[in-house]
Amino acid sequence: MTAEQTETESELDPDAAQTAIEYCYAQGWSDGLPLVPATRPLVAKFLAAAGRSPDEIIGRLPQLDRTVTVELAAINAGMAGCLPEYFPVVLAAWDALMRERSTTGGGWQSTSGPAPLIIVNGPVRAELGVNSAGGVFGPGFRPNSTIPRAIGLMVRNAYGIHPHELEQATQGLPGRWSICLGENEEESPWPPLAVEAGLAAGDSAVTATLLRTCEFVDNRHTGSAEQLLADFADTIGRSGAWIFRHAGAGIVFCPEHAQLLAGAGFDRAAVREFLAERSGRSTAELAAVGKDASDDNGVRGPGRGSGGRPPGQHGGNGGFQRMLPSADRQHLLIAVAGARNAGISMVVRLFGGWSGTAVPVIRP
Amino acid sequence: MPNAILDPTGRAGVQKAAAPGLELAPRRRDLSGLRVGLMDNTKHNAALLLGEIGKLLVTEHAAAAVTLAETKANFAAPAPADLIGRYSQECDVVLTGVGDCGSCSASAVADGILFEQAGLPAAVICSDAFVVTADAMAELRGAPGYHYIRTPHPVAVLTTDQVRERAKQLLPDVVAAITEHSGP
Repeated sequence: MTAEQTETESELDPDAAQTAIEYCYAQGWSDGLPLVPATRPLVAKFLAAAGRSPDEIIGRLPQLDRTVTVELAAINAGMAGCLPEYFPVVLAAWDALMRERSTTGGGWQSTSGPAPLIIVNGPVRAELGVNSAGGVFGPGFRPNSTIPRAIGLMVRNAYGIHPHELEQATQGLPGRWSICLGENEEESPWPPLAVEAGLAAGDSAVTATLLRTCEFVDNRHTGSAEQLLADFADTIGRSGAWIFRHAGAGIVFCPEHAQLLAGAGFDRAAVREFLAERSGRSTAELAAVGKDASDDNGVRGPGRGSGGRPPGQHGGNGGFQRMLPSADRQHLLIAVAGARNAGISMVVRLFGGWSGTAVPVIRP
Repeated sequence: MPNAILDPTGRAGVQKAAAPGLELAPRRRDLSGLRVGLMDNTKHNAALLLGEIGKLLVTEHAAAAVTLAETKANFAAPAPADLIGRYSQECDVVLTGVGDCGSCSASAVADGILFEQAGLPAAVICSDAFVVTADAMAELRGAPGYHYIRTPHPVAVLTTDQVRERAKQLLPDVVAAITEHSGP
């Protein structure tokens, strides 16, 4: 199903559409791009596609006295440009994000301006046309673009968190509210991410977490799995986005990198073991940027003798400090997406803690 | 008749902050003999700054002592009722902060309002980079214009000596905020 296709072009009323779009801007509802004005018949289709009670509360921020219901989610998803059949994926993405402490606390208001990363598994990808191949970080594909936008509009409108007001992003992550990708299960050497997270093969599911930043690794230079992983370890261990004692990360591997690693005998767990041990910086390197120690709250800062910060448990000299707290799944999310045409993979840095779980896409 | 455009906020028809008109806790005549509470929010230098001001309230303004100094575990959310309750049992005035992030500045103001509602004059310290979000929270809580103390941003990178200096600078504002000599 696409938009109403019974209309002939001559029956469309673009002037009325423009007026309605401008009305939505004037209400302060837009993220800056045009919105699809939501009407009762449109929202009814969304609600029917999800089969959940419109009054169900799916998010709550008591400090702001605001809630998100399924109906408000449907209105915002419609405004974001989603088709009704995307709505179960929007709800699964929202539910997946709600499993993180930061999303029910101050994450949406943060100076970091974190971006949701939404990964879709299973047959729903093909049914909706979710891109999992070339250009997977966008743009160009309606579900990939509009599903994360719906999340952003829910935060803006249902929670009332507006930039320059309750939203205090210093700069914000490029691509905030636009990162949604299908896992390229067809070209991945490993089981789907959602299966690793405990769901059944063939289930449609969404994995989501908030990102602090991302940076790709372009390595078409080596056939050695160890050399390739060393390149990832270096990028993961950068000090720039590393602000607490430990931090989580993720990798969206391109098929070429994933296949090279699998060919050398690495499954996801082995990749994590390798990277957990090697991703980080020496205490001397961290001292050079004022981040070699951490205080009682786990916040990094200069070590002993500079500014009264407690020496912290990493105050030693010369030792290597690991960035990942362990090789557990929730500290290093691994997915596969993109085209098989080059060795370019995205390293992401987690804003808080990924739940390590996937949420099934439920359709009536 | 065309279909109506639906409101995505859930607030259609909800009056904006019907302002229950927050009654501030009565200000103290002076600090002499009063019990001071400090509530830091885990932000770097917050505990140090509040502690230094607390000491000055005792040494220079004859407050009895700092009788309660706790850390609010979740900087992003307003303080839980049991924590507020401990302060209202053990203190006469409260000093809290430092609001220097997106969510914690707003929450610091919310905490100040909770203390006021519990009958405790509160001095809330926020970085001046977060005035808009702090004001937005005050309005949200039905206390538009709630007075809090602004200090130049940033606080987290100050050295210990610089924090002590900042404490001295803030002292008159803190005293003014919790005594009858408070400004307009």
